[in-house]
Amino acid sequence: MNILVPHKWLLDHLKTKAKPTQIQEYLSLSGPSVENIIEQNSDQVYDIEITTNRPDSLSIKGVAREAVVILNRNSIPSELKSTDAKINLKLETEELPLPKIDNSQGLCQRITCIVLDQVQAKPSPKWMQQRLEQAGFQTHDCLIDITNYVTHDLGHPCHAFDYDKIMDLGGVINVVEAKAGQPFVTLDQIKRETVGGEIIFTNEVGTIIDFPAIIGTANSSVDNNTKRVLLWLEDLDPQKVRTASMAHSIRTVAAQLNEKELDPYLAKETLTKAISLFQEIAGAKIASKIFDDFNKPHAPKPIKLKYQTCSKYLGIELEVYQIKAILTDLGCQVKLSSKTKNPTEIEFTVTPPTFRPDLQIPVDLIEEIARIYGYHNIPNKLMSGQLPTNPPQDNDFEMENNLKTFLANIGWQELYSISLVSQELAKQSGFLLDNHLQLNNPLLTENQYLRRSLIPSLREAVAQNPQESQLSFFEIAAVYHPQKGDLPQEKMMLGMISTKSYRKTRGDFETLLTKLFIDQVLIEEDEIKKEKNNNKYLQVGKIFAGNNTTLLGQIAIFSNQQIAIEIELDSLLKLAKKHPTYQSIANTSIIIEDLTFNLPLTTQVGEVIKCLEAVDSIVVEVLLKDHYQQNFTFQISYQDPLQNLSNELIAPIRKKIVEEVENKTDAKLVGKV
Amino acid sequence: MTQSISSKLQSLLDEADRIKKQIHQETLSQQELEQKYFGKKGLFTVLSKQITSIPKNDKPQAGKVINHLKQDLQDFIEELSTYSSDPLTQQAKIDLTLPGKNPIIGHLHPISQAINQISGIFEKIGFIRVRYPEVDWDWYAFTSLNMPSNHPARDEWETFFVDQPPHHKKGKMVLTPHTSNGQVREMERVGEPPIRMINIARCYRRQQDVTHTQMFHQFEGLVIDKGITIQHLKGTIDYFAQQFYGPGSKSRIRPFHFKFTEPSFEVDFSCHICEGTGYITNPDNSQQRTKCRFCKSGWHEVGGAGMVHPNVLKAGGIDPSKYTGFAFGWGIERTYTLKEGLNIDDIRLLYSSKLNFLHQF
Repeated sequence: MNILVPHKWLLDHLKTKAKPTQIQEYLSLSGPSVENIIEQNSDQVYDIEITTNRPDSLSIKGVAREAVVILNRNSIPSELKSTDAKINLKLETEELPLPKIDNSQGLCQRITCIVLDQVQAKPSPKWMQQRLEQAGFQTHDCLIDITNYVTHDLGHPCHAFDYDKIMDLGGVINVVEAKAGQPFVTLDQIKRETVGGEIIFTNEVGTIIDFPAIIGTANSSVDNNTKRVLLWLEDLDPQKVRTASMAHSIRTVAAQLNEKELDPYLAKETLTKAISLFQEIAGAKIASKIFDDFNKPHAPKPIKLKYQTCSKYLGIELEVYQIKAILTDLGCQVKLSSKTKNPTEIEFTVTPPTFRPDLQIPVDLIEEIARIYGYHNIPNKLMSGQLPTNPPQDNDFEMENNLKTFLANIGWQELYSISLVSQELAKQSGFLLDNHLQLNNPLLTENQYLRRSLIPSLREAVAQNPQESQLSFFEIAAVYHPQKGDLPQEKMMLGMISTKSYRKTRGDFETLLTKLFIDQVLIEEDEIKKEKNNNKYLQVGKIFAGNNTTLLGQIAIFSNQQIAIEIELDSLLKLAKKHPTYQSIANTSIIIEDLTFNLPLTTQVGEVIKCLEAVDSIVVEVLLKDHYQQNFTFQISYQDPLQNLSNELIAPIRKKIVEEVENKTDAKLVGKV
Repeated sequence: MTQSISSKLQSLLDEADRIKKQIHQETLSQQELEQKYFGKKGLFTVLSKQITSIPKNDKPQAGKVINHLKQDLQDFIEELSTYSSDPLTQQAKIDLTLPGKNPIIGHLHPISQAINQISGIFEKIGFIRVRYPEVDWDWYAFTSLNMPSNHPARDEWETFFVDQPPHHKKGKMVLTPHTSNGQVREMERVGEPPIRMINIARCYRRQQDVTHTQMFHQFEGLVIDKGITIQHLKGTIDYFAQQFYGPGSKSRIRPFHFKFTEPSFEVDFSCHICEGTGYITNPDNSQQRTKCRFCKSGWHEVGGAGMVHPNVLKAGGIDPSKYTGFAFGWGIERTYTLKEGLNIDDIRLLYSSKLNFLHQF
């Protein structure tokens, strides 16, 4: 949460010669982060980020408190000024009765209030308006401005009821928990209903007269006609405040403060400061005693911090007095004890101040010590212990990377597309929409489902680049298969899509596999899959590899001639090898010749090749060299490791090849043997 | 006994010889040569037709000569094509200012390039790379990291929830907003320290603008062992800065707050544009300085870090009285775009299919 701290206002609490840039630098290094200094008509305003665990710093005084400790440590003498309002709490006019306040259920840890008479709802003085505006508040009349002012000054929210409205509503304030469905109108004139469990103030007949710690209600808040004010501070359970604030989405400054653990001890000085400002600015006269119902919390638990533990975290040994000084400066009470005379056996017993409920365990104190000592004063060094040697076995990042690099080098563009897809894309995955995981709270409807295939996203990428004549995209990413009662299976897939021809795309894929020392890729048409698709693809094939037994994935031809391949990465990596099995090189000659066959339309080329390869072991390679219409020219390589081949030795094999092919398939040789 | 050869054969031999010498003097293009020597009226074609008028006894020799000549001529013409079929380079001298013919290449995505570099840097100092789930239980993403439910700290992560029933022990199913869900998972996997983990994975948050995308990548470092101190955290961060941004890069840590680390830090790297000073000196006037617009007073925030909170160690089954550790978790995109000269101004480009962006990498 960020707060705006005008420099001049800060100096009400901080006595220092430090310049704003110095304050920014030193605070940021050891305490709250001053993100920016805003220059406003020769005034500087600090824009400070305060972390959620430090509500004590969410005020001018809180920042000043930090600044004193830090500036002193950086050799800039600084002091916290006392700003306790000195006021006389004697009645200044006829006494007015306090309302009957019933906190018997103990829902408020503290309630403190006072009645002020003869208030004038006039504009605040210029200096207050200016400060409030610099701090990011809207100004109203002085009755509201004063409460905002002291809240920002001291860090505890403060509220002003219209006293007469409270008394007209019955003069009773009951602190109760709401049931669901009770109506109330907040001071922004919005009608609301309770959800149940919120802490509310009601009158005798159950009308809600305040939404404490969060926002006032219209029926009890001050307006231009207010003559009397019931000045009020309360402390509630931060969890309940948070739940109520989030349930109604009312995120006022008060709510954001009260949902963090504020120090109830702050209420007193905040009340007296507010009273003095009301007297000074609104002409208020004290008309009652101060009411204070305070269920004092247990004193902060002392924390035992061993000197050795501190050294363990910092890696250096600070002086004992240094540690004590830092903690004391921060408001802690520090006692030392030691079992032996050895200083390293010293144990500190540290009682944090009431405004630091975040200090609970020894490491919390170590953080305080380290940051005030200065992180920049701690040396840097790398670890020197034993190295872990147990990587998870289900990944091979090196091979994944080699795969990607190779595809990129042969012309493919890697994409990273979003894993959350629209209903339309989810349906195109080949899985039913209902069998996808979806988000409860998507940001955009086009990103609602956890995809089960990469291909629809890749197709979309192609469609987004209509001006390109040739596109080849790939992506390696997870798809998410639901598993009943468990997290989804996050399966890494390789998705490829290209506008290149089938042979070229398949060629790139086959070459990729040879790079992984996987040979023998077989693609078979999948008739069944084709019918189930919602996908506008014309053909689907199954891809097998490695002795043709491992199913790697699928290939699809779309009606616009795009070719898509989707492979399970783990299946691929299981087959992949890091090196080949060396084939010793025979010294004998290789004879290469071509044979052209005519294939009827019903005969698949793969069938013919398979046949050719199987005829004799001296056929060492068969490649499709060329084709023209239905004539396919195969380049056949013959080699016998034991003897040099000649035309005479080959002739009978050649004849056999032709016979086999013509017998087993419908292909016919073109020309003569 | 020398056999006399017919005059017809002799003139054929002479002609063949002449043709062979001639082609070596040629400066014509490949196509032109083909035409001149092998065309219908080509020099070779005409010569080879003469074989019909050679006497029968001389025919074998004539045939051999013709074949050799053919081979020679073809070899010569073939060699020319290795220069280029481009008529421009047919001259004996090549114009060196000619632009090259570039092969078509693809591109590894910049995120992959960043991931490779980052994981390489950490692997060199003994970190083990892992990839933990993107869809996880609330337990791993929040609760085990010392974040009670309904705590204001959880707001900051703006989490996506999956429409599935919660686990009776591990809570709701979410898309993890940070790679920190890997911390307790790694502790469970390894068991006994030493642990040096670098978890790189996709994360998700409900935010989309110039500096945020719904889906992004983070890398999470976790080191747990005996005697791990803040010094090791600082040392590791500094080592990373030197390796990733170049020698001379500085790093620093400032106080911050996370529920799962104590002490917690924000990590800054020095701005390479103003060299960490916060000001740019006017090159024409060394007295004039303007505030550097690219950084915050000389520094860029890269992300958070801290000493692992004892409750997190306990959640991972590790004894905090024996072991300490540190952790850091930063966005890949953010870390990468801070590199000198990169100038990416809109992070959404990284997850688009815009080729004019992707082709630059």
